[in-house]
Amino acid sequence: MASLVSSPFTLQSTKPDQLSSPSQKHYFLHSFVPRKIKQTSSRSSLKVKCAAIGNGLFTQTTQEVRRIVPENNQNLPTVKIVYVVLEAQYQSSLTAAVQALNKSSKDASYEVVGYLVEELRDESTYKTFCKDLEDANIFIGSLIFVEELALKVKTAVEKERDRLDAVLVFPSMPEVMRLNKLGSFSMSQLGQSKSPFFQLFKRKKQGAGFADSMLKLVRTLPKVLKYLPSDKAQDARLYILSLQFWLGGSPDNLQNFLKMVSGSYVPALKGKKIAYSDPVLFLDSGIWHPLAPCMYEDAKEYLNWYGTRRDANEKLKDPNAPVIGLVLQRSHIVTGDESHYVAVIMEMEARGAKVIPIFAGGLDFSGPVERYLIDPVTKKAMVNSVVSLTGFALVGGPARQDHPRAIEALSKLDVPYIVALPLVFQTTEEWLNSTLGVHPIQVALQVALPELDGGMEPIVFAGRDPRTGKSHALHKRVEQLCTRAIRWGELKRKSKTARKLAITVFSFPPDKGNVGTAAYLNVFSSIFSVLKELKRDGYNVEGLPETSEALIEDILHDKEAQFSSPNLNIAYKMGVREYQSLTSYATALEENWGKPPGNLNSDGENLLVYGKQYGNVFIGVQPTFGYEGDPMRLLFSKSASPHHGFAAYYSFVEKIFKADAVLHFGTHGSLEFMPGKQVGMSDACFPDSLIGNIPNVYYYAANNPSEATIAKRRSYANTISYLTPPAENAGLYKGLKQVSELISSYQSLKDTGRGPQIVSSIISTARQCNLDKDVELPEEGQEISAKERDLVVGKIYSKIMEIESRLLPCGLHVIGEPPSAMEAVATLVNIAALDRPEDEISSLPSILAETVGRNIEDVYRESDRGILKDVELLRQITDASRGAVSAFVQKTTNNKGQVVDVADKLSSILGFGINEPWIDYLSSTKFYQADRDKLRTVFRFLGECLKLIVADNELGSLKQALDGKYVEPGPGGDPIRNPKVLPTGKNIHALDPQSIPTTAAMQSAKVVVDRLIERQKADNGGKYPETVALVLWGTDNIKTYGESLAQVLWMIGVMPVADTFGRVNRVELVSLEELGRPRIDVVVNCSGVFRDLFINQMNLLDRAVKMVAELDEPADQNFVRKHALEQAEALGVGIREAATRIFSNASGSYSSNINLAVENSSWNDEKQLQDMYLSRKSFAFDCDAPGAGMAEKRKVFEMALSTAEATFQNLDSSEISLTDVSHYFDSDPTNLVQNLRKDKKKPNAYVADTTTANAQVRTLSETVRLDARTKLLNPKWYEGMMSSGYEGVREIEKRLTNTVGWSATSGQVDNWVYEEANSTFIQDEEMMNRLMSTNPNSFRKLVQTFLEANGRGYWETSQENIEKLRQMYSEVEDKIEGIDR
Amino acid sequence: MASNSLQSLHHHHSLLKLLPSDTSPPFSLFLKPTTSASTATNTSLSLSISSTASTSTAYSISPATSTTPSTSKTFSLDLLQQHLSNQNFREADEETRRLLIVLAGEAAQKRGYVFFSEVQFISEQDLRDIDGLWRKHSNNKFGYSVQRRIWRQKVGKDFTKLFIKIGWMKKLDTEVEQHNYRSFPSEFIWELDDDTPEGHLPLTNALRGTQLLSTILSHPAFEVEEEAEEDEVGGDEKGGLKGLRDSSNPSPLSNRVFKTDYSF
Repeated sequence: MASLVSSPFTLQSTKPDQLSSPSQKHYFLHSFVPRKIKQTSSRSSLKVKCAAIGNGLFTQTTQEVRRIVPENNQNLPTVKIVYVVLEAQYQSSLTAAVQALNKSSKDASYEVVGYLVEELRDESTYKTFCKDLEDANIFIGSLIFVEELALKVKTAVEKERDRLDAVLVFPSMPEVMRLNKLGSFSMSQLGQSKSPFFQLFKRKKQGAGFADSMLKLVRTLPKVLKYLPSDKAQDARLYILSLQFWLGGSPDNLQNFLKMVSGSYVPALKGKKIAYSDPVLFLDSGIWHPLAPCMYEDAKEYLNWYGTRRDANEKLKDPNAPVIGLVLQRSHIVTGDESHYVAVIMEMEARGAKVIPIFAGGLDFSGPVERYLIDPVTKKAMVNSVVSLTGFALVGGPARQDHPRAIEALSKLDVPYIVALPLVFQTTEEWLNSTLGVHPIQVALQVALPELDGGMEPIVFAGRDPRTGKSHALHKRVEQLCTRAIRWGELKRKSKTARKLAITVFSFPPDKGNVGTAAYLNVFSSIFSVLKELKRDGYNVEGLPETSEALIEDILHDKEAQFSSPNLNIAYKMGVREYQSLTSYATALEENWGKPPGNLNSDGENLLVYGKQYGNVFIGVQPTFGYEGDPMRLLFSKSASPHHGFAAYYSFVEKIFKADAVLHFGTHGSLEFMPGKQVGMSDACFPDSLIGNIPNVYYYAANNPSEATIAKRRSYANTISYLTPPAENAGLYKGLKQVSELISSYQSLKDTGRGPQIVSSIISTARQCNLDKDVELPEEGQEISAKERDLVVGKIYSKIMEIESRLLPCGLHVIGEPPSAMEAVATLVNIAALDRPEDEISSLPSILAETVGRNIEDVYRESDRGILKDVELLRQITDASRGAVSAFVQKTTNNKGQVVDVADKLSSILGFGINEPWIDYLSSTKFYQADRDKLRTVFRFLGECLKLIVADNELGSLKQALDGKYVEPGPGGDPIRNPKVLPTGKNIHALDPQSIPTTAAMQSAKVVVDRLIERQKADNGGKYPETVALVLWGTDNIKTYGESLAQVLWMIGVMPVADTFGRVNRVELVSLEELGRPRIDVVVNCSGVFRDLFINQMNLLDRAVKMVAELDEPADQNFVRKHALEQAEALGVGIREAATRIFSNASGSYSSNINLAVENSSWNDEKQLQDMYLSRKSFAFDCDAPGAGMAEKRKVFEMALSTAEATFQNLDSSEISLTDVSHYFDSDPTNLVQNLRKDKKKPNAYVADTTTANAQVRTLSETVRLDARTKLLNPKWYEGMMSSGYEGVREIEKRLTNTVGWSATSGQVDNWVYEEANSTFIQDEEMMNRLMSTNPNSFRKLVQTFLEANGRGYWETSQENIEKLRQMYSEVEDKIEGIDR
Repeated sequence: MASNSLQSLHHHHSLLKLLPSDTSPPFSLFLKPTTSASTATNTSLSLSISSTASTSTAYSISPATSTTPSTSKTFSLDLLQQHLSNQNFREADEETRRLLIVLAGEAAQKRGYVFFSEVQFISEQDLRDIDGLWRKHSNNKFGYSVQRRIWRQKVGKDFTKLFIKIGWMKKLDTEVEQHNYRSFPSEFIWELDDDTPEGHLPLTNALRGTQLLSTILSHPAFEVEEEAEEDEVGGDEKGGLKGLRDSSNPSPLSNRVFKTDYSF
């Protein structure tokens, strides 16, 4: 058995010097990653080591293990073969072939050396490669799809192409394919020639069809060509034969392949007539089993054989045994590199599951999946779940994917679809050593792309041996994979009555008032609605209370006295011994948390699991990180393991409650943010250990695809999207409303004598509303001319309109309750406001503007400047848009106000055309002449959108997931930008990380950067900012297809360049002339999520920055260079190292923790927060040593930040703003920069908002004010929240806490914001009492936050106010503690 | 529709190579058979390969194994006895795996490795004899039954823990404790010394996971003598013991410079 390992391969003794190098290097690799760190102070010394050792790349393997130099005692002519492949599986087969040839051949002696594509990144390896080519006879390449490396191969081979006897390149990027040459046969014309042969490539370039048509060609062409006399045809035939040999992959085929090519094309061998056999062909696709006598093309036949297996036990032969479909790569089978496949098959069978392992040679598996896994008669799947072991997207492999086709096939199959992956670019040890986990390129190809097919659970199940290149099982990972696949499959087989479901809610930050936190979601009402539906569907939810309030009380244990019992309901007490026996990784937690039980989720003797069971459903509360309130941990822990209580919760769910599935309820929990590798976890990664064997279904907000992706990858979740609450326009209230009314009377009366009087009331009311901070108001009593009056009024009007039309989600979403028709209007109006040139849809505002002879962009611009008549026009356009959309929506609504049967209504509307409701409406406005065709197009589109908005798939998809069915994937993002996000209830995915930034994103980025610079210059004496510190968010970049990424590129003056497949892996310089301004330096702080999702783009940015720093340009025209030179000198490092600008957290760690500190009030002073920021965010990505992962570069970080003159962030969607979430202030460095700057000057802080058609760059304080006005202080908003009850109070409190966060990190919050908030929520007795009785815990936090804002000096107010707050605090405290007064 | 037998293919290239090229099937026959799957009998032309293959008796694809295909069908403990009595553990280890393949049956021999479900075909006596020889010549330090005892009693049937304990995995120098497989043969211990871990030999490779070893260690052959000493640790059958972090003692070998091979 061990024979496979002690493989025929030995290193050649002729190269003794290189012989030792691999082992040497591997040894050093150990120190590549920071070692176990006990004391933080030791870190810096380790960094030096990282930089000094290894090539810093992802793989340290070398070609030398693939080099065979024959002894050649008989002085035969030598044939030297050099190959470059993606597929390491060819290594052992080729080696075997060459060794056999050398043993038997009497004509020639064969020398070979092989390179794995990724190794060519290393400069010295690349040099050796070029050198090897110099005396090579034959070059072979295969699956070279990574552009940078493809270009390297191309350059090297091109140089030698004429001299080489043969060049054979199998499916690869066109640039490399063109190198092909075999006698007269050449592909240099690829893509240009009109010959049918090349047309074939051209035509199919768009899809996976490319590779498949090549295969088809392979099958049919030689037969024809064989009988053609001409040499040309002969050469082409040999090319095709070569491809057949190659795809046949076995050592035999490769031997004959080498014989054929060398015998036919190596001049020294031409006369020798070397005999070769024709290729042995295997099925292109079929079913393979290691024990089967043959391969099958029919599942029935295969299963018949299965039934006759003598070795199989009864359990396995049982017709009711679970059946798992496996998808295998043919090349692994034909090359004999299939140990890892056999391991999975054995593991499945040992666990009592039948397997149907199918394979295909092409890149399109959708056909084989349908052919072999679906019963042709019943059209039903013959399997309970499917595991792809290829790692690739179902259609397209590493080339061009066709996701719709994959989704179609998988929908027919309708079972859970798991895509596990073998290591491709790294060896086992390299992967284990890496904190990133799987190589970023592999993440892009084999994790991100399969997700677009709906693939789940990227588990690394096979490692790679550095010596033989062979794959091997990782036994624990294989176990994890197989158990999980079977458990997913079991769902379908288990009756609904018997199915056990653990619903997990979050408590974040850890406070009783926060139990059941999830973004935009009314958690308990949603759970209640889910449980009702499950009950109806046949699940056992015995004892479910009548109302969702009762449900809350059951779990929070407030039954008798609402204010008394501070404890959650204890569902289970787990003794320490029991905990240890159930939790194998318990000892690993002791380093951070000591011996169990510890003091979190513990009564001192037992570990406590909080929650409540109803029949077969358990509702549990996920424990928290546990270190939120501990400033020292927040400051120093790069990452912290889960505590014992956390582990005990999941042990309980898996092993005591024995859940068939866990449902994590809403965005988001802590499990997936626990330490471990970023992607492709090992046995030692906590998220993997915690989730264990339980299938995980996760309700996730549709607008948060980035964090949903983390949940997918790190907690193996099937993420089901839910809608954010329907957005409404913020509207106007109190003083703002008065201002608006005054303005409207001014417009009608301005030419009468009352004009000046009205203007002065407008100004004084505006001042009362604190609008003087946003608009420069003339002093009271100051005389102003009529023209100036218009301008002042116009500016105020514009501000008022901005506030009024702001979108805000009202209330909280309840799963299974789609918005009513009228609730969808505001969203539709905003959808209609965007031009969609790719779909030839003009926006409604632009159609309306045209009607009155205006360009909408001009109207936006003039309105922003405060030109009264254009502000008024814009308001009319906005009103008309709303009116027209409302009229349209009303027609599709029943008398209850619910949208019914949109499709029918629509077709009747659109069918006749005469009664189009929007025309009816517009006919009574000044826009009655609007273009009817354009209107029809946009309303048809809106009709589609409306259908999707009101579709209710959230419950349906959950049931599907729990039934063990396939949940259709869909993008996450902003429904306004991308209506494809709808309907919700989809398995959310991000996007191909290499596809951004897009050209369109680059366009918008230019606009924003230019506006930012304009604004900064205006505020800064006409000077360009030298450095801008900005933040990159994952979600933002997904929603905008990389706009903020593109902003960084544009600041430093470079443009992204896409390759043939549309992947962006390169940038090119924009000349200073073209740029027309200096290159602006940047300090980029990537969120941890961005780092996980887009590490390739971090690489791209770093390369761009370094490239710009190295340009020979004057310092006053290139601030990147200017600063890098200064820093290089100060730090005594090279300019490349000094030009380090791309920062994030350490691998496996997220956020600066400032959010946790603020939420828990556990910080002393701002300095402490800044230290936290620096200690957690100063990890840099280095494109010169990408394999090293994130390395701490705090000195450069501080120096770079100290040059910043502006800080900048993007808002990613209309419904999430600055105070809605804690992560914006968590990442804001404004005060930090001020502190670091030598002159202690506060940088200007800006926020870009591209969420509406009229993109804006505002200052941070403007944005904070806008946010406070539209949310926290807006009755529409807080009443909407109050109607959600318990959770609503918390939402209000959260906004205030986040506002304090902004004070702490940026100091950009005006006093009046706190003052107004205080009068709204505390001084108003009725309001205060409502808050207190609805959620006393959150109310207490609210009061505490007010006191804190005052105590920390962010809010100055009367002693009276403070007294009242103190009094309220002790009152509510007593109530909570149950002390009756 | 049946087609080429792949698994046999890799193992017999040496045979095919000997065939004069004109006897190999004509070109067109290599095209994918298009005849319908009307019959289960192997009439397809493309089967020519598997038929040549089936005449073979080789079982190992690896020329590096010391076994000789022609005699491999016979089962005799003589060679093992000989190696072990000479304390020639490296060869004895090799021979043990050869014997296991022979005992597992003809299919295993063709394939070159034992599929876990074939272990049931090995008789209790044969397995006990092999184990007995190992124990006898190693002061009870080596042998399947030794491995079984550790597996069942000391590590709760957790293979990672077993592999660490018997010196088949090595600790890596990473921040979190992780282990990698040792490389065969250089990283294993071929002498019976005091610090050679108990149960270190014979090796069973984990290239294809742990089901084979699991089945061997669960073979009824080893049940008799152990009844009395049933463990107290292995409470949880499936273990669910997922971490590689369990801090058992670092292997005595960990101070050596190792090649990064997982295999053995």
